[in-house]
Amino acid sequence: MVIRIAAVGDVHVDEDVLGRFRPALEQLAGSVDALLLAGDLTRHGTEAEARCVAREFGGLGVPVVAVLGNHDHQCDEVPQVVGALAEADITVLEGDGVVLDCPGGRLGVAGVKGFGGGFAGRCASDFGEPEMKAFVRTTTESADRLGETLRALDCDVLVALTHYAPVPDTLAGEPLEIYPFLGCYQLGQAVDSAPTALALHGHAHHGSERGTTPGGVRVRNVAHPVIKQAYSIFHLGDHLDQGEVSGVAAGGIQQPWS
Amino acid sequence: MTAYRDSVAGPPDEYVEAEIHRLLTEDPAVAEQGITVVRTERALVLHGEVESAHRREEILRRVADRFPDVSITSDIGVVRAQAPTEIEQLP
Ligand SMILES: [Fe+2]
Ligand SMILES: [Fe+2]
Repeated sequence: MVIRIAAVGDVHVDEDVLGRFRPALEQLAGSVDALLLAGDLTRHGTEAEARCVAREFGGLGVPVVAVLGNHDHQCDEVPQVVGALAEADITVLEGDGVVLDCPGGRLGVAGVKGFGGGFAGRCASDFGEPEMKAFVRTTTESADRLGETLRALDCDVLVALTHYAPVPDTLAGEPLEIYPFLGCYQLGQAVDSAPTALALHGHAHHGSERGTTPGGVRVRNVAHPVIKQAYSIFHLGDHLDQGEVSGVAAGGIQQPWS
Repeated sequence: MTAYRDSVAGPPDEYVEAEIHRLLTEDPAVAEQGITVVRTERALVLHGEVESAHRREEILRRVADRFPDVSITSDIGVVRAQAPTEIEQLP
């Protein structure tokens, strides 16, 4: 059996975006088991913008699970943003998770926004000025909550959902100098601390799609400017079913989507 | 943001580039972190992708307002939002 996931991040919705994603989103019902949103749902994190997100991404007939991004924090209206999304049945994760009963099994999603800090050997340390320590502790606490949630979820397929990147692979295309603002190795370590099948993130608009954690977990950057489509679709499972096997035989790893 | 004193030479290009880059993120009318400012011999070129044509126009308007003497060209696109044509299989 297969778990089917659609995912996109960094849609940065405001009134001017309303309706742009909707025609593609309306194809999701019956085609996927869940839609995951990898943060930066809004431009400035206002309640009004969150209502636009709710209109665009709500009522699809598919469970929608999200994490927030840095843009969603800009106006300090996080509770209102989460509330507006909740009214449209969009679940916002921050240090917690959900398990969805899907035809192909139980899909567990653990989510945190995450934070920057950089990657192994080139990262910020919990040392020195209080501002620096606060920065690194934010990173560490966020990653710890992701790891704890991933290890606690009882499910068949486990997905980690963050805004910041857990590996540098999917940042390729961004200037090296800003990697510490784009993600941290601690998120990757959290992903690797559990039997995670897939890690999804956004935030790196100039990054690239595919990467792997040091522990071998597949990572996908689903930021909208990176995937250049309304969402990407992933089929996760221990084996491919008959139709998919013939699809692979006919045309490589990917299959036409209708 | 720092206001430049008028001088014959004007502010050094690096600082203009830095100011534009911060303006693109910090100006509430723009709020874009994904726009790259590239300095060429003739002009500053803005690269990147935004979610609507309106946002692209707003970026050019705000940058031109703030830096009327700097010649700016734009190569900003609007991200496509079609349904995907392929599924990625992750066995
Ligand atoms: Fe973003
Ligand atoms: Fe972001």
